[in-house]
Amino acid sequence: MTDPRVARLADLVVDYSLELGAGDVFRIDALDTAAPLALEFYRSALRAGAHPYTNLGLEGTLELLLEHGSEEQIAYVSPMQWHEIEELDALATIWSEANTRSLSRADAGRHARHLAAQRRLSNRRWERIAGGEMRWCGTLFPTNAHAQDAGMSLRNYEDFVFSSCHVDSEDAAAHWRLVAASLHARAEDLGSVRELRILGPDTDLRLAVEGRTWIAADGRYNMPDGEVFTSPVETETTGEIRYTFPAIYHGREVEDVRLRFEGGRVVHAEAARGDDYLNTLLEMDEGARVVGEVAFGLNYEIDRFTRNILFDEKIGGTMHLALGSAFPQAGGVNTSGLHWDMICDLREDGEVYADGELIWKAGRFLHEPVPATAPVEAADRA
Amino acid sequence: MPDPRHERLAQVLVDYSTRVGEGDLVLLESTALGAPLLRALFRRVLEAGGHPQLRIGLEGAAETLLTSGSDEQLAWISPLRVEDFERADARIAVEAESNTRNLSEVDPSRQADMALARVRLRDRYMERLAAGEIRGVITAYPTNASAQNAEMSLAQYEDFVYRAALLDEEDPIGAWEALGERLRGIAAWLGTKREIRVVVDGTDLTVGVEGRTWIPCDGKENFPDGEIFTGPVETAVDGRVQFSFPAPFAGRLVREIDLRFEGGEVVEAHAAEGEAFLREMLAMDEGARRLGEFAFGMNDAVQEFTGHTLFDEKLGGTVHMALGKSYPESGGKNQSALHWDLVCDLRHESEVYADGELVYRNGAFLPDLV
Repeated sequence: MTDPRVARLADLVVDYSLELGAGDVFRIDALDTAAPLALEFYRSALRAGAHPYTNLGLEGTLELLLEHGSEEQIAYVSPMQWHEIEELDALATIWSEANTRSLSRADAGRHARHLAAQRRLSNRRWERIAGGEMRWCGTLFPTNAHAQDAGMSLRNYEDFVFSSCHVDSEDAAAHWRLVAASLHARAEDLGSVRELRILGPDTDLRLAVEGRTWIAADGRYNMPDGEVFTSPVETETTGEIRYTFPAIYHGREVEDVRLRFEGGRVVHAEAARGDDYLNTLLEMDEGARVVGEVAFGLNYEIDRFTRNILFDEKIGGTMHLALGSAFPQAGGVNTSGLHWDMICDLREDGEVYADGELIWKAGRFLHEPVPATAPVEAADRA
Repeated sequence: MPDPRHERLAQVLVDYSTRVGEGDLVLLESTALGAPLLRALFRRVLEAGGHPQLRIGLEGAAETLLTSGSDEQLAWISPLRVEDFERADARIAVEAESNTRNLSEVDPSRQADMALARVRLRDRYMERLAAGEIRGVITAYPTNASAQNAEMSLAQYEDFVYRAALLDEEDPIGAWEALGERLRGIAAWLGTKREIRVVVDGTDLTVGVEGRTWIPCDGKENFPDGEIFTGPVETAVDGRVQFSFPAPFAGRLVREIDLRFEGGEVVEAHAAEGEAFLREMLAMDEGARRLGEFAFGMNDAVQEFTGHTLFDEKLGGTVHMALGKSYPESGGKNQSALHWDLVCDLRHESEVYADGELVYRNGAFLPDLV
C-alpha cells in the first residue's frame, strides 16, 4: 500500500501551496526516484482541474553531460525550454537524489558553466514568479541518499520529512494556515525593529534591519517551511559569529566557520575544515562578503541538522545568515553569484536582542506576536 | 557491469537509424525502466555532437488520466509536446514497460477519445517524418513485463531482442544495410503488382495495391526492423482474415481476431477475447474500419511470437495489416486516429498470389522471382 502521507503531501502542495485551479498548466519536475510522489502530484492536480504533466530527470545523465559534452553542449538550453517557461502557470520541484555526492568529482568549472547557462532560464522563471504570472513550490521525496546524509534510516527519515510537513496528520492545510497566521504576525512585529544583536558561544553580531521587510515563509514556496527572513542593511553588519553546524555549499562541507564583520563586510573568515574553499567562495565577487539574508528558523518539527538546506534553515530555534545575494522583495540590494545559507544553532544558550530588548532565548521568542491585522488568506499572495 | 549490447544498440540507433549530427536536437523518450539504454543513448548523442533531450514518461500517469481526468483534461496536450514534434531533428522512442496490461480495465471509449485528441499531433509528426524534417525511430527495451508477455526469462528475452536487432552480427550496421538492399529489391518488384491475395487456414483475402508504393523498412523508423509495407487501395480489400497471433494494443490484448471485408471496409468483426474493445476501436472514426497498411514481415532473426507488435510484425514469414491510418509515403490515403497492426502467421500451409501468380509459400517468397 502506498504511504498515505505521500498523497497528503501532494494534496497539500497542490491545494495550499500552489492553489491549483481549473485549466492551470502545471509541470512536475522530479527524478525517477520520486515517481510515487510525482504520480500523487499528477493525480491531485487532475482532481483540482489542472493540466499536469511531468518532466522527469534521469539519474546519471548530468554526469554524462559534464563528462562527455562539449562546451557548447554543456551550455545548451533548448528552444523548447524557453517556450515552455512562458506557458507554465505552476511548477513543482521534487528533490530526491539517489546519491547526493554524484557530482563530487565532476569538473567544477564545467559544472559552473552548465549552471550559469541554466541560470538564464531560471532567471526568467523567477521573473515570472515575482510578477505573479506563475507559482512555484519545492519539496522533497525521501530517499536513502538523503537519509544517509542525515545519518538516519530511510524509515526514520520518512517520519522526519513527513512530520516536518505535517502530513502525518489528516488536515495538513489547516495546520499550515495557523502557522502562516503566526509567521505573518511575527514578520509584522519584527518590521518595527531597527537593530538585531545575536549573542551565543563565540558570537556577538549586530545587524541593521531598519526599513527592511520581514517575509513569512509559510509553505507557499517550500514544503516544509517555517521561517521569517529579511535582508539586512548591507553596510551595517558588525561583530563575530561562529556556526556550529557545517556550512554546505554545492555538496561540500565547511566545518566550524567563524566570520568577523566590519562595516557590513566579512573581514576575517576561518574554518576548522574547508578553510580554503570558504575563502575562495568569499572572493567570488564584490557581494559575496555581505550578508544577503538573516532569518529565524521556526519549524520545531525540524529538530536536527540533516545536511539539506530545505530543512536545515527551518530548524526551530536556529538563525541563518546567508552570504551573498539579497532578496529585493525584502528591500535587500546586495547582488552576488553566491547565496550561501549558514546555520547558527541558538537552542542551547543563544540570545537575540531587538533594539536592546531581549526577544529570543534558547531557541524561542519570548512573546507571542501580536496577531496580524490583515486576514492571513489575503496576505502576501504575490 | 552494464550489458555491452546497450552501447552497440545505442550506436546503431544514433549513427545509423537517426544519423545524428552536429547541433541536432534529439528527443530521447522512454520510462525510467529504460534507464540503462537511455544513458548509453544520451552519451552517444553527445559524442555525435547532438543535444539530447530526455522525455521520461511517468509510470501510471496515463492510467490516472484515463480513469480520473475530465474530458477536457483527457483532450489536453502539453505545449512541450507540440514544440518537441515541431522542433526536434531526431527522436528515439524506447518502449520500456513494467506491465503490458496496465490499461486492461480502463474504459476503451476514453482511450479512443484520448487517441482522437492526439491525431493532429501525430499527423504533424508523421508529416515531418515523411518530409525528412525529422528522423524518428521506435525501439523496445527488454523488461520483465515484455519477457513475461513472451513467456521467457528476462535473460532469454534480452537475447531474443538483441538477436532480432542483428547485434550478434560482427558489423550490425553493415547487416542492416545488406537487409535493406534485399528489401529494396523486393519492394521495387512488388510495386509492379496490382493485387495481392493471401490464403491460409481461415483466411482468403484480396488486397488491391495498384499505384501504391511499397516501402522497404531497414531500421530507420522501427528498430529492430525488416518489413515491406504499402497502403492498400482503401476500397479494394475483400474477403476474410483470421489473425492467429494475439493482438496487443494500448495496454490490452485481443485474441483470435476474425474480420470480414467488403469493398475495403470491415463488415464483420469477432474476437475470442476482447471483442468489445475491438468494436470500440473499429468505431473510433470513419477510417478505423479500413486498412491503412499491408506488409510482409522479413526479419528472419525473429522466429518466435512474443506478443509485442514491434517484433511480431517483423517475424520472417508473416504478413500484417493495420486498421486505420495509412502512411502517406506509401500512397495510402486513409485517415484515422487508429493505427493497429494485426499479424497473421503464414509459415505453415500458406500461399500468396500477386496478380494471380503464386509468389510466396509457407512464409517465404519463391526463389528467383525478383
